[in-house]
Parts: sequence; C-alpha cells; structure tokens
Amino acid sequence: MKRLNADSQPISRQKIGIAEYAVVTDETVLLTSGLGSCLGIVLHDPHEMVSGLIHVMLPSISQARDSTPAKFVDTGVPLLIEEMVKVGARATRLQAWIVGGSEMIQFTASDGSIGSRNIEMARQLVEEYGLQLVGSDVGGNHGRSIAFDPSTAELTIRTADDTKQTI
Amino acid sequence: MKVDIRELGQFNHLASLGAERAARSLSQLTGVQMDVEVTDVSLVTENVLAETFTGRSFVGVELGLEGGLDGETVLAFERERALKLQELLLQATGSSDELAQSSVTELGNIMIGGFIDGWANHLGAAINMTPPKYTEAVGPRILPDQAIKAAKQHGVFLFESRLEAMDVDLDFSIYMLPEYRQFVELLSGADGGNQIPVNRLSAFESLAKEGAGNAAGQIAMMTGLDTDVDVSRLRFVPLQGVPRQVGDDRFVGVVFELKGLPSGYLVVLFDEASAKTVASSMMPGGMDEDGIGTMTEGAIKELGNIMTSGFIDGWANVLGTSIEHTPPNFVHDMGSAIMSPVVGKLGQQQEYAFVIDSTIEIDGHQGRCDIYALPNERELARALSALPAQN
Repeated sequence: MKRLNADSQPISRQKIGIAEYAVVTDETVLLTSGLGSCLGIVLHDPHEMVSGLIHVMLPSISQARDSTPAKFVDTGVPLLIEEMVKVGARATRLQAWIVGGSEMIQFTASDGSIGSRNIEMARQLVEEYGLQLVGSDVGGNHGRSIAFDPSTAELTIRTADDTKQTI
Repeated sequence: MKVDIRELGQFNHLASLGAERAARSLSQLTGVQMDVEVTDVSLVTENVLAETFTGRSFVGVELGLEGGLDGETVLAFERERALKLQELLLQATGSSDELAQSSVTELGNIMIGGFIDGWANHLGAAINMTPPKYTEAVGPRILPDQAIKAAKQHGVFLFESRLEAMDVDLDFSIYMLPEYRQFVELLSGADGGNQIPVNRLSAFESLAKEGAGNAAGQIAMMTGLDTDVDVSRLRFVPLQGVPRQVGDDRFVGVVFELKGLPSGYLVVLFDEASAKTVASSMMPGGMDEDGIGTMTEGAIKELGNIMTSGFIDGWANVLGTSIEHTPPNFVHDMGSAIMSPVVGKLGQQQEYAFVIDSTIEIDGHQGRCDIYALPNERELARALSALPAQN
C-alpha cells in the first residue's frame, strides 16, 4: 500500500502501518509502531531533505504468495529508494536506520525466526545499495515503536516499558 | 454456490482503497488528518449486530446503492464524535447548528461517494447512490431496516472501515452492507480456487461462538469470577491490518501454534490490570506481586493453556476435525508487536486472514480478555467444505 504525502498542506506527523511506506520532503515526523519481528527501515538524504520510512514484514517476496512490494525487505527497500530519488534524493547519499526484527515468540518451525531473517536481508541490501548505516537497534525479544525526525535526523525508539533511546 | 476467498479479498481491497479516499476527503474538509485503521468484512447475524452496536448512541448518514452493487452504506459516528465533527465543521464554515447538521450529511455524501468510487470500475457496471439521509439511533437501528432483516434471515456481509484521526478523538466507521444474494453471486469465482460453499458460511458464527464460550467458561472455572463473552466475530482482514486492530497498548498474554485442520495461531491477551486480577484469583489467598512477575506469568500461562484447549475443542466440535496446540509462549509487550510475528508467519502463505476476535468480560466490567484466533485460510476453507450442508 502506498502512502505518498504529496499534499501541499504541511502535516507534522505521519503514521505508517505494516506494508506501507511514506516519503516526505519536509520536516514531517515519520512514525511506525508495533515492530515485533517486522522491520522499520528509515532512509534519509540530509542534503536534499528527503526522508522515507517503510515497515516491512517478511524478508523476501519469493517466499510468499502475494506481491505487495512494501511488505518485503527485498522489494521494499528498492521501492523506497526509487520513490525518494523521484522527489530529489540521491541514492548514493542515503543514510539508513534499521530497527526491529525481534524474536518475540519461539515458533516450532525450523525455518529460523522471521526477525533474524529480516535483519539479515536488510543488512545485505544496505551493502548492495551502498547505503550508509547510521544506526540500528535490532533483535532481542521485545517490541519497538519508532519516530524519525528529519529536522534533526534522529530516530527515537520506544519500547512497551516506556524506555526511550535515540540513535 | 461457492464463495471464492480471493474475490472476498478483492472486495476488501476495494473497500480499503475507498476508505482511504473517504479519509482524504474528510482531511481536506476539516483539516484533521485522518487515517484508515483497518477494513474488514464479516458475515454477521442479527445477534452479532446486536453485540456490536448495542448500548452505543450513533449519528449516521445513510445512502442506498443500486445497479452494479445493490445495498446500503452507512457512515456512523458515535454521538460525542459526531458533535466534535459538527464543531469542526462549524469552525470551518462559521455556520449555524442546523447547517452543521446538513454539512455532516453532505460530508457523508462526499465520503461515501469516494468510498464506492472504484467499485463500479471493478464490477464493470454503474452504481447509483440514493440521496443521503441523516439518522440518529441507539444500537443496531443505526443500520438500515433491510440489513437487519437480512441479518435475521441468512446473515449479512458487513464491511467495516475504521478511520482514526491523528490528534483529535474523531474515530468513526464506514459500513457497507451489500445485498446478500447479489453479493454472493459476485463472490462466486472459477472452480478449483480457494472456495467455501455458501451454505457452510453459517458455520462462521458457530466457530466464533463455540470457541469463545468455552474459553470464557474456563476462565470462570479457574478464577471463580463471572465471565461473559462480550463480542465474538469472525472477520476477514488483510493480514497487515491485524496488529493495528490490536493496537499499541501493552498486554500480558500467551501465543499458541495450532496444529491440525485447520492449523494456525491463537493469541490470548489481557491488559495488565486484568492479568493481575485473574492471576490473583487463581491463587489461594490471592497474590502479592509488584508489576507483572513470574507468578502472574505462571498463572497466565496455565490459564491460557486451558482456555486454548477449550477454544479449539469448540472448533473441533463445529468442524469435526482434531486440532492440537503447542505449549504457551508468554508475551508482555505492545499488542501490535505481539501480533507482528504471527501475521509474519501466516503472511508466508496468505494475504488475508480470517480472524476470530472475541472479547470476554471478567467480573462485570472489571477485567477483560481478548482472544484472536487466526486459522490457515486454505485449511479452514477445506475443513468448512468438508462439512455436511447445514441448510
């Protein structure tokens, strides 16, 4: 599902759900909550003030039956880069933050936890696209909510017990 | 006749796109940023309508649909939120109360227009809208009479899109109730797909009821507290909508994997206060623990285990199959984050989910417990298809 904020009206905060993304060219704070095994990936071009956030659910589109690109790490990241470049970002200048991918539940299946597979795929893509990884807070067994403030290029992470950290 | 699950998904998608358009119109007209929380569709009977709407006072805008899609759409605000909206519209237009009321109607007209835009395209036939009607009612009467009558006879498909405002308490729902027979025809797909015979759809309500009833009974037995199933519905939602539906509040609970026909996941969640209440009621002499510690964890795991056994026994009764569950996975975290690996697991096989969502009230309004059961869609369809016809 696509959520491009192209409206002229300035909005101060924008919430992004699972399998959604947003790209902004102003100081709109980008939020997403409920990151368990999912990943929140933020990309930012400080020079052109283009910021994007995507909330992906699974590592690879090839392992699922549907074709919503924003649902998967391997299709979501290129999609986000493409949309950011469209509004003026330069792909080679993008900074990246990766948050989430925790292992909240021990499932019996032997195919590895979704969280760790998501993290692995995201790291692979960071390398592949030459993104500059500025910060990450991944793994563990707790949920996270994040807010990215383009004006300071800071990502704030909140957990259920109300601990807060900025990266 | 058979209902094709992919078609149901397609219509859910149309409804959710429509709801986003409706949200945008409202944002433009009021200056309040609106978001679509989730769009789901369920087949509901009169009882479920009563459970869902009873005791709430609504202001609505109602419009009939004719042509490519026959049915009714209702924009329903709980009364205090409608007043808030009128206030916002007054500020925007500087007009009188009466005008504010007519602008709510006009707003409904615009939003519902946006909502069904796209449906006609999909159906390849024009959809005409009757003039909007401003209504006020308590309980299910906010829905059109025809829909209530249909719910009594054979059930009615209820699409619900919940919209939430970013900074103001303006949350409300858009309901769409297509005419049953025509809609069932629209849902019939090519053979060989993932289908459920129409005459087994009535089993949906039994699935929702039996499991929750059993689980509520187990809580009562273990805690000695009164329990009551408040709402139990089977909804069809895009998987990514499930965490959002559960919300970001912190819950204490247990997650189980189900094995059998159907396989799937079952999640039992208590808010922290309710978790402590039930845990304490389970201990002779009560419990004295700060926060949520190992005693509460042990009690919730034990209770969750027994509730889940009861729940899936209820399913097994309806479906005539055997289902087992894994040991409990204890969770204490944001509801949406708890659901994230569950929808992730299911998301490898399916795009939508049948979610049985039951709320059990404990000790009057003192505590509550939410149960979410997410069966594997194809296996559920298979189990339902194998049932003898019920009518």
